Amino acid sequence: MNELVATLAGYSSAWFGPQWGPPVWVFVKTLVLILVITLPLFGCVAYLTLAERKIIGYMQVRIGPNRVGPAGLLQPIADAVKLMFKELIIPAGANKFLFVLAPMLTLMPALAAWAVIPFGPEVVLADVDAGLLYVMAITSMGVYGVIIAGWASNSTMGFALVCVLLVSQSLNLSDIVNGQARGRFAAEGLNFLSWNWLPLLPMFLVYFISAVAETNRAPFDVAEGESEIVAGFHVEYSGMTFAVFFLGEYANMILVSALATIMFLGGWLPPIDAPLLNAIPGFFWLVLKIGFLLFCFLWFRATFPRYRYDQIMRLGWKVFIPLTIVWLVLVAAWMQTPWNPWQ
Amino acid sequence: MTIELLVFYVFAALLAFAGLRVITARNPVHAALFLVLAFFTAAAIWMLLRAEFLAIALVLVYVGAVMVLFLFVVMMLDINLDRLREGFWRYLPLGAAVGVLVVFEMALVVVAKYYASGTLPMPADPGPGYSNTKALGRLLYTDYVYPFELAAVLLLVAIVAAIALTMRRRKDTKYQDPARQAAVKRRDRVRLVSMPAEKKE
Amino acid sequence: MLENYFPVLMFIAVGLVLGGVLLAVGRILAPHKPDPKKLSPYECGFEAFEDARMKFDVRYYLVAILFILFDLEIAFLFPWAVVIPDIGFFGYAAMMVFLAILVVGFVYEWKKGALEWE
Repeated sequence: MNELVATLAGYSSAWFGPQWGPPVWVFVKTLVLILVITLPLFGCVAYLTLAERKIIGYMQVRIGPNRVGPAGLLQPIADAVKLMFKELIIPAGANKFLFVLAPMLTLMPALAAWAVIPFGPEVVLADVDAGLLYVMAITSMGVYGVIIAGWASNSTMGFALVCVLLVSQSLNLSDIVNGQARGRFAAEGLNFLSWNWLPLLPMFLVYFISAVAETNRAPFDVAEGESEIVAGFHVEYSGMTFAVFFLGEYANMILVSALATIMFLGGWLPPIDAPLLNAIPGFFWLVLKIGFLLFCFLWFRATFPRYRYDQIMRLGWKVFIPLTIVWLVLVAAWMQTPWNPWQ
Repeated sequence: MTIELLVFYVFAALLAFAGLRVITARNPVHAALFLVLAFFTAAAIWMLLRAEFLAIALVLVYVGAVMVLFLFVVMMLDINLDRLREGFWRYLPLGAAVGVLVVFEMALVVVAKYYASGTLPMPADPGPGYSNTKALGRLLYTDYVYPFELAAVLLLVAIVAAIALTMRRRKDTKYQDPARQAAVKRRDRVRLVSMPAEKKE
Repeated sequence: MLENYFPVLMFIAVGLVLGGVLLAVGRILAPHKPDPKKLSPYECGFEAFEDARMKFDVRYYLVAILFILFDLEIAFLFPWAVVIPDIGFFGYAAMMVFLAILVVGFVYEWKKGALEWE
């Protein structure tokens, strides 16, 4: 593998000269790596939609899609092809530029944030120091797509993440994961009790509930409730414009699950420090944890009735924000005392 | 020309273009979106100066929050463009004067720096293990604690002002208080009355 | 440091380009036969009688201000949280004063009823 990379780097120097060869090589390499992340992500989105329909189907004592391919496995592909051949309708009253820009602005942050997500120890595209800050900044651009319902949730997610920062003292996502491998329980081999979800349990719950609201998912989907307002603004988006919106929203769902995994569930770390479990690659554990959180997303949708708009506002501003501020002050004060468990 | 310089020129050109479009775009929503682009490219230029935290905070605060407010205001005001254009020539002298003054001030600062100390050197790459955020944090909450607290007071003034300017109580709305709804007892709502049966005439 | 941000910049560009490519694919493959009825705004069987871009309620403006406030607060909290062992009790107290001042504003907004939604 290393030889192959070295040979390819050599070719680019030979073709473009010593001055332009290395930059061109870095460019091509980065582009390939980005596609290696995004294209499987698109696949995950496609099969997440199938999983959603199947799981909610079974929860409601139905079978879900089962006609296209064996057990309905080709359904997402059929959907994608269908959307590709659907006419793009831009309503006469709409501003063409803004109408087309909106889905692109939803998709871009949901993809670009993956640049700093670590998939395993040392396996990260851009190992930047301020990784968490970057993710916060780039996802905050998502508010332009759909507004308001995600507002309070955006702030509460911020406060919950500050608590994680307090205990890990780094904005680098890999460092945050590695920080969770230390602690009293980890020393006894019980890794999963040392992850942040236990000492910061209220923040983990607040973060995850806010993440559900942030991604406009049931039960907080007032902006695009399917059964009430026929999915809101999605009505006027057809064909690929709709598909891009849809991709962005589901990629966002996977993204917030991945972040929750990294912040609170120990990222790629195995739950118990045993030789057998350590032998399994970290990527597997990461995917397993993300999958569990995604299942919760679908589970919520099948279980809870939709919140009303004023109820969401009350929950965000009057319950979560005061709760997170108080908890933040408490954790910081706790760290000032000698009984600091994160030393 | 290094790659870094090339990236700088691309972003500088984008920033100048976006800034121009902010003041020339006819549609106010477009103007606001070009301002978003301007902030984004400015953040990229700060990043080239190794101001990692500030660059990302610029995106987080301005693109993620302040510009949303701008867009809201633009939509809320229901701007009548023809009425706005009427005043163009009347306000032009004043606007031009202020513009020239700003250019003059900027020139004063930039030119003075340029001739005093030569071109400012590009900050060196700090190397691995350096955290811009931590360096900033160590200074901000110790040496610069008064400006930091002053920022809090400013924000407080902003909240109070916003409430004083925009808060209007509407009288005609109905409001549910779920706590009261849940706390309701039967005797608050239902009254059992014993009445003698009426005789049929 | 900057070479770490190059992939980030490229990822942002690729994110935008991918969105554009997907939309272009739709534009090329799909039929394109507009007619006035098809392009009219979606309503339940009647002509649209008002501009969809209605004016926002002024209350959203207040919530937006509050949102900015908390966003700024978070921007200040991030560097504070990562250096808390270095800045000691003084740094801790500085942030507590900062938070206290802002909580005053939050309580004021709450008591004034700016967070009520009917």
